[in-house]
Amino acid sequence: MPARLALARATSEVAIEMIERLQTYLPRLVLSPSFVLILLFVYGFIVFTGYLSMSDSRMLPSFGFVGLENFGKLFNLRHWSIALKNLAIFGILYIVICTVIGLGLAILLDMKIRGEGVLRPIYLYPMALSFIVTGTAWKWFLDPGIGLEHVMHLWGWESFSFNWIKSREMAIYTVVIAAVWQSSGFVMAMFLAGLRGIDNEILKAAQIDGASNWQLYRRIVIPMLRPAFLSAFVVLAHLAIKAYDLVIALTNGGPGRATELPATFMYSYSFTRNQMGIGASSAVIMLMMIASIIIPYLYSELREKKS
Amino acid sequence: MAFLEINRLHKQYGAVEVLKGVDITIEEGGFLVLVGPSGCGKSTLLNTIAGLEGITSGEICIDGKVVNDLHPSKRDIAMVFQSYALYPSMSVGENIAFGLEMRGVSKADRQKAIEGVAAMLQIEHLLKRRPGQLSGGQRQRVAMGRALVRDPKLFLFDEPLSNLDAKLRVDMRTEIKRLHQKLGTTIVYVTHDQIEAMTLATQIAVLKDGVLQQVGTPDEVYSKPANMFVADFMGSPTMNLIDAKIANGDGTLAVEIPQRDRSLSLPVPQPPSSLQSYSGKSVVLGIRPEDITDLDGADPKAEHIAQAPCSVEVVEPTGADTFVVTQLGGKEVTGRMRNATGLSVGEDVPFAFNMGKIHFFDPATELRIA
Amino acid sequence: MSAASKDTALRTGAIARAVIYSVLIVFAVFYLLPLFVMLVNSVKPLDEIRQGNMLAFPQAFTIEPWIQAWGEAQIGVQPTGLKPYFVNSLVMVIPAVAISTFLGAINGYVLTKWQFPGHRIVFGLMLFSCFIPFQIVLIPMARILGLLDLAGTTSGLVLVHVVYGLGFTTLFFRNYYDAFPTELIRAATIDGAGFFRIFRRILLPSSGPIIVVTVIWQFTNVWNDFLFGASFADFDSQPMTVALNNLVSSSTGVKEYNVHFAGAILAALPTLIVYVVSGRYFVRGLMAGAVKG
Repeated sequence: MPARLALARATSEVAIEMIERLQTYLPRLVLSPSFVLILLFVYGFIVFTGYLSMSDSRMLPSFGFVGLENFGKLFNLRHWSIALKNLAIFGILYIVICTVIGLGLAILLDMKIRGEGVLRPIYLYPMALSFIVTGTAWKWFLDPGIGLEHVMHLWGWESFSFNWIKSREMAIYTVVIAAVWQSSGFVMAMFLAGLRGIDNEILKAAQIDGASNWQLYRRIVIPMLRPAFLSAFVVLAHLAIKAYDLVIALTNGGPGRATELPATFMYSYSFTRNQMGIGASSAVIMLMMIASIIIPYLYSELREKKS
Repeated sequence: MAFLEINRLHKQYGAVEVLKGVDITIEEGGFLVLVGPSGCGKSTLLNTIAGLEGITSGEICIDGKVVNDLHPSKRDIAMVFQSYALYPSMSVGENIAFGLEMRGVSKADRQKAIEGVAAMLQIEHLLKRRPGQLSGGQRQRVAMGRALVRDPKLFLFDEPLSNLDAKLRVDMRTEIKRLHQKLGTTIVYVTHDQIEAMTLATQIAVLKDGVLQQVGTPDEVYSKPANMFVADFMGSPTMNLIDAKIANGDGTLAVEIPQRDRSLSLPVPQPPSSLQSYSGKSVVLGIRPEDITDLDGADPKAEHIAQAPCSVEVVEPTGADTFVVTQLGGKEVTGRMRNATGLSVGEDVPFAFNMGKIHFFDPATELRIA
Repeated sequence: MSAASKDTALRTGAIARAVIYSVLIVFAVFYLLPLFVMLVNSVKPLDEIRQGNMLAFPQAFTIEPWIQAWGEAQIGVQPTGLKPYFVNSLVMVIPAVAISTFLGAINGYVLTKWQFPGHRIVFGLMLFSCFIPFQIVLIPMARILGLLDLAGTTSGLVLVHVVYGLGFTTLFFRNYYDAFPTELIRAATIDGAGFFRIFRRILLPSSGPIIVVTVIWQFTNVWNDFLFGASFADFDSQPMTVALNNLVSSSTGVKEYNVHFAGAILAALPTLIVYVVSGRYFVRGLMAGAVKG
């Protein structure tokens, strides 16, 4: 009997120890499904696509290794250089105009404006819309046959001409207009939050020191918004590189291929032109562009948190 | 046997050693206060007793049982936190009873326990409220109620009064002392406030950089500080520490303090036994402000009053006392004078030094010369 | 956005203020214009759009375009209207949002209150996944969905949206729980509550605001997604955005602008309603996604 009792006690102790060990690993266990999903579906897939970019894949993935041949082909393709050039035009204008409008509106809204509660949501609501909706609205509004140009003619301004969306040279700028419309309110919100975070006593001190309104903003306020500028830049830059839906809805890459961007290039080469190897290599280039912006940013943000 | 026993406790975070071999014991029913400047390791020590942080080496025993590897909930302790840590989504009553609920106590018994504790702390009218609707003092009471209701072997307090305003802090201090006297429980209490330590403790442990400086009753720590750090830390205003020299004039020792023109020599009537060996050497003279007075204000029971002229540099009236700052041995020295002293800055007046209550420290080791 | 009013004692004259207000109102018009165009032209007969003024109010009011867009318009090969796709989107959005929010909450809890060696790297990897261009995963994803027999199904899209939403939901909850006092966890530990009990009884009841923020963020993103829908869905699972694009860009027949506008509003309606009802949380989500830490 005592032996059995001792055995029972021993087993129960083992059981308790196991439960306690489980408790130690429970948090990691709970986190692991998500982490495995991310490892597999993000990083595993990046490796897979990375390999495809060095393979002879055409219509279907294939694993014949061809080295950097696809990248060589890619950079000799006129479509790709158009896509890169468009990305440069679109990206720079999109970032600069959104920042200027966003900062301007934020500064104006911060001047104790009556009706701020009405204006702010109006500036921001486009961010809630799908790019497809935005694209549809602007596509017809900018259409010379029925949209803005037509309206101006009806109003008696016969010589008014605005047919950018039909023009190979100018179509990319209509993408900028629609994208700025969608995102600039969001940038305004970021700057406004930054402005509201500035200690008011600093502004009072500057005023007592004799700074004019202009000097106050140029010398004190805008330099203090540095973090907001950085965040806005990172968000806008990565949105620009990823831009896809808007172009599809607004111009579908046209007229011709005039509004081709890397994202639309990747899609058409991978899935409709049966050049999966080249499509994969363009995706790798996109990832590298984003990583070169995001990784330093995340690194500095996480480091700051640490200290 | 001691009720709480901490032996050679070491705690490391990576390469940083936070606790460097701490030994403390406390009897059942004792009130141990851990005191020290921020970053000295006192909160870490409390957390290791609670089991909230693991230890690198050493041993912690509660009531004769080693608890090193025991989960916090199984150590039979309760803790009151600095932020009170009241669960924001639960009512006061639910907050108090949560620990009992986790231990499977029936609802009826829980209700009885809540009522008992609420009556003791006079918070019956608050039981239905949420923590967000309470004042700081009320939260403090609820936090104590949550600890009391469990009737644990050991209470741990982590700077429980530091978030209260000055007046409330004094009231709650008295209340904690009263509760301790009434319930006779064993308490470990962390604070950086040396007045709290003096008023509450039966034992004070002074910590600095993870090393225990001194353990003793409040009186021992105050009147026989083990080293210059303890001397400086306990008491407000702090003890004056003056560079001086021991002179041996035919058997009677005197302490010489260099002044601008000539050095000031004060007799040492009751020299500690090893002071003799410091003859002709440098020491640090420690004297508390209340032992430097004006002549009329000197303690009438003091046997050895020495007089010396000092030049008044700053006069700070505080109401009951007036603190007067002068220069001795190149250092600012504070004396505690009667209210209506009528001194003015720049005046040279005789100060009274209570030489029966002076301390000597070795300037190199900073230890008390006993 | 902080509600704290700031007392900037900027001196601005009457003329300056008039200019400021004019600029602000001009921009308000700019932002409202497309919505106005969509609304007024969705209730006009087609002729009136072609011949008339896009910026004018309708002369002949009709809800016919809405009926068309909802139930009759030709999308792809079938004259089903947008209705079945609206349902597809709903059936996809609800589980995708629920699962990713739940996982994000649990992840945030572990990453702040039960930190383990390497938690920083785990979080960093999850965070970076928020920003990748999805083109990099399209090809392998199509293959995996095929292997799992999920190609073209709503379940497949739910999986995709859960995986690529996890980074953001985890970020939201991590930042929220990071500010949650650790002493509360310690108190509950001493009280005897374990891992799940602390989560359920202590953290979850206080997580209302961040749950709302996360749900809105995820809802908006998943509802508005086009790329995954266009890549991985077939008729039974195609979401609203893809159907709208098919409707608008179909090259056959007459371009029924009024139907397109009505359809666009239908596609925008759920997220717009969410925005109007809880704009404050929507903005907070946007900011949390942009400004970390």
